[in-house]
Amino acid sequence: MFNRPNNTYSFYDLAAPVLASVSVSIAAEVARPTAIVLLAVLPSIASHSTFARDHLYGAIDNQSLLQCETLNWAGQLLEAAACYSGLHNREQTSQIRAEAFWAQGDLQNANTQFQDAIKRFPEDPMVRVRWGELFIDSYQYSEAYTLFGEALEIDPENSWAHIGAASALSEGGDPEVLNQHLNKVMEEGLAPHGAKLRAMMMVIRSLLRQDRYQEAERSLEEAFEFAEDESLATMELKALRASYEFMTRGDYQVWIDASLEESPGYGDAWFIPGYHATIIRRYEEAGDFFKEAVTLQPDHWEAHIYLGQNYLRLNDINDAIRHVNISYDGNAFNPMTVNLLRLLDTFTEDFVSITYPDPPEGPLPELVVKLHKEERDVLKNYARKLSEDSIDVYTERYRFEPKEPIIVEIYPNHEDFVVRSIGMPGVGILGVTFGYLFAMDSPTGHPDQRYHWGTTLWHEMAHVFTLKATGNLVPRWFSEGISVYEEWRTGPIPGRKIPTNVLQAMAEDKFLPIAVLDDGFMRPNYDGQVIVSYMQAGLIFDFIDLEYGFDKIVDMLYLFNEDITPVAAIEQVLGISDSEFDRHFKQFIDIEYGPLLNGLGVWMEDMRAGYEALQAEKWEEAAAAAERAVFTYPDYVENDSPYIVMARAYEKLDNKEEEFQALQTFWQKGGYLPAALLSLADYYLERKMNSEAEAVLMDTSYADPFIEDLHVKLGDLYMDTQRPAKALEEFEVLLALDPLDKASANYRIANAYNALDNDEKTMEYLMTALDIAPQFRPAQQLLLEMSRTSN
Amino acid sequence: MTNTTANKVMNKVMNKLQIMLLLLISTILLIPNANAALYVTIVQGLGGLPEYDDKFADQAQKIYDASITLADASHVTSMAGDDATRSALLIHFQNLAESMNEDDRAAIYLVGHGSYDGEQYKFNISGPDITDADLAEILESFPGQNHFLVNTSSTSGAILDGLESDQRVIITATRNGNEKNATEFGNYFAAALASDIADINKNNNVSIQEAFDFAERSVAEFFESSGKLATEHPQIRGEGAASFSLARVEPLATSDENPRINAFISRRLELDTEIESLQLRRNEFSNVEYIQNLQALILESAEISEQIDSLREGTQANVQ
Repeated sequence: MFNRPNNTYSFYDLAAPVLASVSVSIAAEVARPTAIVLLAVLPSIASHSTFARDHLYGAIDNQSLLQCETLNWAGQLLEAAACYSGLHNREQTSQIRAEAFWAQGDLQNANTQFQDAIKRFPEDPMVRVRWGELFIDSYQYSEAYTLFGEALEIDPENSWAHIGAASALSEGGDPEVLNQHLNKVMEEGLAPHGAKLRAMMMVIRSLLRQDRYQEAERSLEEAFEFAEDESLATMELKALRASYEFMTRGDYQVWIDASLEESPGYGDAWFIPGYHATIIRRYEEAGDFFKEAVTLQPDHWEAHIYLGQNYLRLNDINDAIRHVNISYDGNAFNPMTVNLLRLLDTFTEDFVSITYPDPPEGPLPELVVKLHKEERDVLKNYARKLSEDSIDVYTERYRFEPKEPIIVEIYPNHEDFVVRSIGMPGVGILGVTFGYLFAMDSPTGHPDQRYHWGTTLWHEMAHVFTLKATGNLVPRWFSEGISVYEEWRTGPIPGRKIPTNVLQAMAEDKFLPIAVLDDGFMRPNYDGQVIVSYMQAGLIFDFIDLEYGFDKIVDMLYLFNEDITPVAAIEQVLGISDSEFDRHFKQFIDIEYGPLLNGLGVWMEDMRAGYEALQAEKWEEAAAAAERAVFTYPDYVENDSPYIVMARAYEKLDNKEEEFQALQTFWQKGGYLPAALLSLADYYLERKMNSEAEAVLMDTSYADPFIEDLHVKLGDLYMDTQRPAKALEEFEVLLALDPLDKASANYRIANAYNALDNDEKTMEYLMTALDIAPQFRPAQQLLLEMSRTSN
Repeated sequence: MTNTTANKVMNKVMNKLQIMLLLLISTILLIPNANAALYVTIVQGLGGLPEYDDKFADQAQKIYDASITLADASHVTSMAGDDATRSALLIHFQNLAESMNEDDRAAIYLVGHGSYDGEQYKFNISGPDITDADLAEILESFPGQNHFLVNTSSTSGAILDGLESDQRVIITATRNGNEKNATEFGNYFAAALASDIADINKNNNVSIQEAFDFAERSVAEFFESSGKLATEHPQIRGEGAASFSLARVEPLATSDENPRINAFISRRLELDTEIESLQLRRNEFSNVEYIQNLQALILESAEISEQIDSLREGTQANVQ
């Protein structure tokens, strides 16, 4: 039931797991060429208050303790501290002593006192409930859940135990069980009012998290009415109201002020809106909120870590380090803090920044590529070319000139990348864009050749433009849709790539109306819906481009600066209602995919038959089945494409022409399997089709630049076509890959330098080659030539 | 080039070359006597399944073909199936030991499956298996030193501790006896001997070290590219792996009917030895001196090769 180690998302959903589903779906789809990414992944918190210790909301009625609580929440902190210290004496029960220690931040002593309290009052469920809440505050959700369970064994109707269990489960537990606990409190007429208010606030957080603003507003109103009727504290509720107002462009400050008026030292009045600002990718404003939180409450360690992470998103590394360190010094138990500290070590010690243009042409670079030092010499040229090409393309297409340097971070260790992006490991994402900065996986993070890093970079760069052109106000589906559409239209491997499960969803008419397309990203209700939504969003822009023209896409994009809904944008720019749009889009899908969807079963059968025949070494049967599959769906170029089956079968049948044709079509339609592309490059080279060979080899580098042979072929081709400078780049990459045959790699570099008339470098690399392999004849001959020339 | 430029080049090259020194020292320490004979024994174990039988047969054949490029064919023995019983093997090795002299070298290839029960390693053959104790006894029985054994089987790492010695080179497909999965190492080791792909120093010979380096890297790439956890970690122990050739990529020209060519070949062989000697003594020179000396030797060798080629082309032209 409790699976925290495998799932670190904390978000709960009353109806379905939200990000838990997203992460699983995305991980399962890593194989896809389309860069399935989260535009901005949300950090886990907010299932419970992030203040060091929540308001009691009536959970305990000890008058001495409540006096201290009153002072504390009224902002009389010195008086409150003295009051809590007065409760350490033996006249108080162990539980009250525990509460006092806890309120003063002494979790160790609080824990000891709770242990004692359990021994003295083993039948009191509230001791276990409060101890469980202490475990939640120290991020030990599984242990907390166990304690709430024990409390419920003693008193199955204990609402405080149910709300505690729901809180613990919101950190990665079963959402169905979470909802059962929550409903127990919400529906229980006799539930303590404070417990019920906490349940209502959990619901509000969930609604805000899912952009369900109308429901959130209604729930907030109900909660306020309830709290006022029952005279409950409302500073947390006001902070949530401020969050709602911020997210819906309302006046949030008035609610923050109201929260602080009720509890002047309440850092969460700022922190909670800050957290919700990160959800809607308003990182600059989030940073301002977090700064206010730590100014007001310097021991708000959670705010420090979120501020630190936010600085990372904004590329302010020094301030990030400072706040992560402050957070660690204050609370070394927060796993997010520990993860970020480790990451920052890696980041500062192992990563290098390369700035462009080089040499600089102004006070700021236009592009900064941050690479692991061990991958720098392999990736830098390709990352630069992809980045600069995509910036040029998007600048022109989206009429937006970047105002700041664009920062591209590429991580060889997937978990480093995930921690950098969301603070916690264990999530299957490929890239995350924060604004002018995006982070992504290196190809070495996915060694199985199914990850196309060039496409991921292209996808993320599109987000930079759609986010910054709209002040981060672009709706999620819109930004994702444009990124997918650009992959298909202008990316390194153009062409629509629709996975099989999406075709299946199309056949089952599972595309969502455009008005609620964000639900497919935010509230998926079946496995794989996130991927289906990505594809639908991409197809929508393909459709708009074909039907109305590309400019309409850009016109719609800029309307989001005016705080307009996607439906209104469609009406204003395309002149049709959303329902009309849905109808036209459906017709487009029917025209484009109707015949395929009708024959989907036959296509899948042919695909299966092709692979089975291949395995059985029945080459002719395999080729025939694959050809049938190609006839039904000629654009399918995933790595299990029938073109690959055909190529393999024809290779075995020694039919080189057919093998070549299959590989060529696979590539021309956007296939990217590196082994297949290298075979095709060989065919082109054999046939002296140099420009095609060069294009195929460049495409291979965007799929997997860590293949030695690729750089040998490409470098040799450049040498053969009198482009030694480009050849040199390839051979330098080859050497950076630490090849077994270092003599040849050094010799190739020497040759390129020789062609560039650089005698010093030629000699340097030539002698290195000859020292490794003194009898290496081609190198000897070059030495002879050089010797004779210099004489 | 100016002298300054040359010096800069020398310094840079020297920095790159330091790292290769150790390898070269080991190369030269154990240069075998030119008159020494190489005796090769290839033992093909039981596959258990046709798929493995085919694989092992293919590997054994590649090793055999490679071995006869270097060793006298009469000194290369392949044993497989019912011929490769424990008793037959023990007799073979006993005879071999008796026929070898102090300068001779033995190379043993075990291609097949192995097992390890925590105490004893067994190489799976027809009838009773060959054990790690048998292998130790066999190796000890050979006169002289510089012998070689490669065991490509699963769990083969279990033999390392028992057989490790400065007197011989031992290669295993696995790190220890706990790596029990069928291995990939043998495929790559045999492939390394079958072409010039592993000949990184371009001397037209594939040494034990070169074959091991190629196979080790290929195994790692195999597991990485297939997204699988590596279930084998090849090991090499002992001295002299870089100087022990297992296969020749091209026929060696050690003499020629043309006396002029013969003289050139002799001089080139001398130069090879001088280059090796210089590399061994590189610490005695400054960076600049070292590179200048190396360059001079290699230039002379290159000029000789050019003249040999020219003379041969002339001969061919005359014949035509």
